[in-house]
Amino acid sequence: MDNQKVLQDVTKEIELASSQEELQIVKVTYLGKKGRITELLKSLKDLSLDEKKSKGAEINLLREKVQALFEVKLKDLKILDINSKLNTEFLDITFPPPEVSAAKVHPISKTFDDVVSIFGSMGYTIAEGPDIETDFFNFSALNIPEDHPAREMQDTFYISDKDEKGKPLVLRTHTSPVQIRTMLNQKPPIKIIAPGRTYRCDSDSTHSPMFHQVEGLFINENANMGDLKGTLIEFCKQFFEVQDLKVRFRPSYFPFTEPSAEMDIAYEIIDNKLQIGKGDKWLEILGCGMVNPVVLENCKLDTSKFQGFAFGMGLDRITMLKHGLTDIRSFFNGNLNWLAKHGFSLGEY
Amino acid sequence: MKFSYSWLCDHLETNQSPDQIGEILTNIGLELEALSDYSSYSQFVVATIKEFKKHPNADRLNICKVDDGDKLYQVVCGAPNVKEGMKGIFAKDGMYIPGTEITLKKGKIRGEVSEGMLLSERELKLSDDHEGIIELKKDFPNGTDAVTALELNDPVFEIGLTPNRGDCLGVRGLARDLAAKGAGILKPLDYKKLESLEFESPISWNIEKDGNSCNYVISRYFKDIINSKSPDWIQNKLISIGLRPINALVDITNFITIDIGRPLHVFDADKIDSLLNMRKANDGEKIKALDKKEYQLDSTVTVIADKNNPLAIAGIMGGSETGCTDNTKNVFLEVALFDPSQVAKTGRKLGINSDARYRFERGLDKEMIEEGLEYASYLINKICGGSVSKNTSAGKLDKNTHVIDYNFNYFEKVIGLHLSSEVQIKILKSLLFKINKITDKSCIVEVPSWRNDVIQPIDLVEEIIRIQGYENIEIKSPYATHEEKEKVTSSLNNKKFSVTKKIKKTLISNNFSEVISFSFQSEQAHNLLKGDSSLKISNAISDEHAYMRSSLLFNHLEIIEANRKKGFKNLSVFELGPVYNDSKSQENILFGLTSIQKYNNKHYPINKFDFFSLSELISKIINSLNFDMKNFNIDRSQSILFHPGQSAELRMGKKLIARYGKIHPEVLENFPKLSNTFGLEFFYENLPIETMYKKKLNKTHDSSFQFSEKDFSFIFEKNQNLFEVHRMLTGIDKKLIQNVEFFDDYNSSEIGDDFKSVTFKITIQSDEKTLTEEDLENVHQNIIEKISQKFNAKLRS
Repeated sequence: MDNQKVLQDVTKEIELASSQEELQIVKVTYLGKKGRITELLKSLKDLSLDEKKSKGAEINLLREKVQALFEVKLKDLKILDINSKLNTEFLDITFPPPEVSAAKVHPISKTFDDVVSIFGSMGYTIAEGPDIETDFFNFSALNIPEDHPAREMQDTFYISDKDEKGKPLVLRTHTSPVQIRTMLNQKPPIKIIAPGRTYRCDSDSTHSPMFHQVEGLFINENANMGDLKGTLIEFCKQFFEVQDLKVRFRPSYFPFTEPSAEMDIAYEIIDNKLQIGKGDKWLEILGCGMVNPVVLENCKLDTSKFQGFAFGMGLDRITMLKHGLTDIRSFFNGNLNWLAKHGFSLGEY
Repeated sequence: MKFSYSWLCDHLETNQSPDQIGEILTNIGLELEALSDYSSYSQFVVATIKEFKKHPNADRLNICKVDDGDKLYQVVCGAPNVKEGMKGIFAKDGMYIPGTEITLKKGKIRGEVSEGMLLSERELKLSDDHEGIIELKKDFPNGTDAVTALELNDPVFEIGLTPNRGDCLGVRGLARDLAAKGAGILKPLDYKKLESLEFESPISWNIEKDGNSCNYVISRYFKDIINSKSPDWIQNKLISIGLRPINALVDITNFITIDIGRPLHVFDADKIDSLLNMRKANDGEKIKALDKKEYQLDSTVTVIADKNNPLAIAGIMGGSETGCTDNTKNVFLEVALFDPSQVAKTGRKLGINSDARYRFERGLDKEMIEEGLEYASYLINKICGGSVSKNTSAGKLDKNTHVIDYNFNYFEKVIGLHLSSEVQIKILKSLLFKINKITDKSCIVEVPSWRNDVIQPIDLVEEIIRIQGYENIEIKSPYATHEEKEKVTSSLNNKKFSVTKKIKKTLISNNFSEVISFSFQSEQAHNLLKGDSSLKISNAISDEHAYMRSSLLFNHLEIIEANRKKGFKNLSVFELGPVYNDSKSQENILFGLTSIQKYNNKHYPINKFDFFSLSELISKIINSLNFDMKNFNIDRSQSILFHPGQSAELRMGKKLIARYGKIHPEVLENFPKLSNTFGLEFFYENLPIETMYKKKLNKTHDSSFQFSEKDFSFIFEKNQNLFEVHRMLTGIDKKLIQNVEFFDDYNSSEIGDDFKSVTFKITIQSDEKTLTEEDLENVHQNIIEKISQKFNAKLRS
């Protein structure tokens, strides 16, 4: 009967325990060295062997039951503890975060990247030249003699410093001087693009004193105007992401190419938005042509052996057309609101 | 170059419409820039206002009854000039009004029905005039279409001519090219040579042999002429292209300039001496030109002068003193050939853009001199009467023609299109080239006198394909050979490009926005930065852009300041672009600037940015480029732009790789809102980019055996470079020391002013086994020993 009484008592006390500490005290009271159940076990030593066996089994059973009760209760109390702790840790998860605008890549960067990768897939390597150029590289080697009206096609910035021949240095008005630098340094075959900064003293919504161009040059023994057409059409298809692209090439004049051409792509306005690729209006995209033999000779290339083509286009212009931007000046004034709207996030770059 | 359709038809017999002509011009390289075409205006008609009365509900409006010849319409009209019997231009409901871009709808205006509109010039886009509705002067029957009534049936072309085509600066030249393309037949020029040249010119010529720009000049003297108004047909032509008629003589010279592209000049013969001289101007000589401006001349300028004074700037502009007026009785006509480059130089120097300069500097047809003389004589004589002298001239006209040895195969080689020699010859002949000595393979081509731009065989190729049509060039797909692809991947420049891309990505993911600023800087910035004097731009667009930039700092400070004014608090921008050390040395760098404004937000704490944030960013960039910070040295920066105590220079060997830190407060004096600003310059071109690509990835360490961490505190001398300590630590036992992290430092009087205490954590782990206490102790002892010895440091207990 003792055992039953003990079980009743302990069950009640466990139930009443409201914390892990209290439960521990109860546990000591019953299962500790001098606990009631421990005492019961100790009392067995004076009994007969048979009694020891039967009573001992009962008490052990009791002990196991009690232990199980303790474990269950302990678990409950632990959960209670955690829950009550969590309750103190509630935050106002609706507290709004401050506005963060993700940093963006400049649209021109994206264009540079597209241009390098599209022409790269056609085998064009990047070439470079300085922004501050000599008269020779920017003009005369390109068959633009002094006092020729072609020089007035471009409003040139001059640097107060002079070159070795005593002529004022210029800010390159186009990326074409890189053609000359490359042809003087490399033997054909030559297949390069030269993207970079260019300068003309002009400023309005479509002209900026600084802008970007990319030059292309392909010289070997047989590159012809059909290759030129194919190359540029393929570029425009990929760049503007228009497979069915209506284009036209029309004769033009650049002193450093002969024959020269300008390439236009068709467009139409649909819902006030410029759609590139079809329609009956034309947008001028780039200038190109077969490299003038005079230029090849200026670069000490054998004109009976080598020929090729060159092209140049405004990177700001094609960027504006592709993304429907209207004012070139906003490219260069560092307005972060503009960039947030028109720039590219890391995922798009 | 502007001309009207009817003007073109004076030279070209054609059945092509204006639109077709425009398209053909573009296709043969004479780009159509604008074509005013009013043919759609034939829907608008002449109508008479039969009666009108005030609108009952609006003071300024009238209710008109308008007769368009068919029926009467009620029109509400606000024009102040309505009157009974007046004829105007009427648009019915449903018609599109070009000037307002509105389609008329039948409706009521203030309660009164209006069935159409009487139009103003602005509504027809004819001018900006919107003072009232058009009032027709002539009596056209009602219902006549507006194109007829307003004489809009002569569309005007505007052509953007490339500088090589001086021959097309006259309507005749354009007609010649159109005829070659098959757009019509070139008509003979409509004039007769004068037969009775009665007397010797009282004025004669001399060309000085001083290197002036004149090669040849020819003249005639016109006696007893009457210089009144020019006839309507000349006036109308000039008006159609926007020129104002002045008097017969001036109009005739303007007409001939446009008609055949031949500038010429008329002097009032009574205002000049009997001997005219082509010579170089004297330094300081002055002339008042026809544009009423006075020009100061020098010895690079060629003038036409008499005994006393310069009378005209050769090939550019006449003088106002000797020009023809209504009272001119006797005229001296000058037709000359001037050197294109000298004319260009003078024109640019004096800043005069005249029709004459524009043509002379592009090179004129030398054979057109006599034609110009005859054409002008005929018109002057016919219009102004009087009698005409014999020729007087000076100099010599070189009549040699240019010939080119041409090989028919060359065409296909360049264009990639086969064209038979017959077709090639036919095209050249259509352009009036003369072809001689034709063989299977080649011919000799004689270039017409007006095509100064055709010099080499390649120019003939261009002429042939220009007429054959660029649309006929076969499109060939681009391809890359294996060698070319190899070149692209191995090219240093392409690798450099990838480097810039990686840098951009690192910066963007650290919330730096990319900007592109001009390569210029202001004079003030230039001086502050002690930029090289060779970087001055002679013709800068403004003081703000007076020099090529030697740093991006000020560009970016301005950008940040401007954005702060827009309310941005956290501002971080970067740019990859050039800086210029001097006019011959340019470096492409990364520049970044960040300015974080403190603000309180209990839950979203203040954005902290300090020197160490920057240092961490540098380390991220270095890592993204596959380099290890351990390969670099660090030192204090000496740059005056940075805070001396919070700026650093990172070097690889001797090469400067980065300079970064807090911007010096003095620099920020003009930017009061940017007190807490940090900048970095990263000279990526100084990195050994080639080796970076060759290098394998850093050995990756991955072990599951137990690791041990241990902190050490040492007392170092105060100026001890911890980068060196770090490098030494990572090298002590490469197998077992996996990581070294410095995480605390402090100074105190206890350890002395000349010393600092620094704490770092070492992670030790083996790839092969769980290390024993003894193993660890060995490593610890090794560290203590080496650091103490090498750096004269003491372990703190």
